Amino acid sequence: MKWIGRIAEGLVGVVFFWAGFLKLLDPQAFVSSILTYEVFSYQVAVVCVLVVPYLEIVTGVCLALGVLKSGSRLMAFGMLVVFILLLAQAAIRGLDADCGCFGERSGAESGYAWPIARDALMLVGLAVGLVFERLTRDTETE
Amino acid sequence: MKTVREGLIILAISVVSGAVAFFVHPKAPSFSAGDLELELYQVDELGPVFWVDARADEDFESGHLDGAISLNVERWEELLLGFLDSWPPDATVVIYCSSQACLRSHEVAERLEDELGVEEIYVLKGGWKRLLEAGRVSGGSR
Repeated sequence: MKWIGRIAEGLVGVVFFWAGFLKLLDPQAFVSSILTYEVFSYQVAVVCVLVVPYLEIVTGVCLALGVLKSGSRLMAFGMLVVFILLLAQAAIRGLDADCGCFGERSGAESGYAWPIARDALMLVGLAVGLVFERLTRDTETE
Repeated sequence: MKTVREGLIILAISVVSGAVAFFVHPKAPSFSAGDLELELYQVDELGPVFWVDARADEDFESGHLDGAISLNVERWEELLLGFLDSWPPDATVVIYCSSQACLRSHEVAERLEDELGVEEIYVLKGGWKRLLEAGRVSGGSR
């Protein structure tokens, strides 16, 4: 039972790691993507570009390896909620925003539905990991 | 508390990594590029302005601001001669590209500063999209 949760979290971790790694390859493109959301100033976008890819990579590695588990869950949950909110506000405002989720242009071409659904699916992955860990712990305690 | 502490550890690792990347990543974005940005009303207060269009050739050909000359990163060497021929040295240079998310204008501004020592140089915030909204141009492509 516990392994189902570990696999779900591991997959979420791998996606985070990959997304962060791709963003590191072209920081300028990521700045440009962030600006298309029309929420952040240029300077804030630069800070995001410097920190977010590493946050994704470190969080991804921790989730996949099961280290700093509760902290990595918190960071992953926080990032996914922020990503969903950013995408949703862009959709509501009718912006031609570039998702920038995996470094290259992706969101504007495919719309917002898939990136939001993907982030929601990752939230489900985190929830599955947490639920199965609790279930296993309860079973062991009994 | 454990969750928050672990989350802060992950955040600290990411911030330190981002700070290191700022100095060592060959494509790290600069903070100073944002200082060049001016709103359209601020440009109007500058006095004589020499407009530079940093968009791709096809965008420039399909429509541009009256009096603007084309100078983009793709044909830098060729177009720079045209810039030097027509730039009145007492005029402030203002560069625009397609939108707020477009960073071509920042790149052109930085190169003009570095290579020609142009001091009075700015980037129009919002670019072509802003000019369209203000009714200064019509049609064309972004």
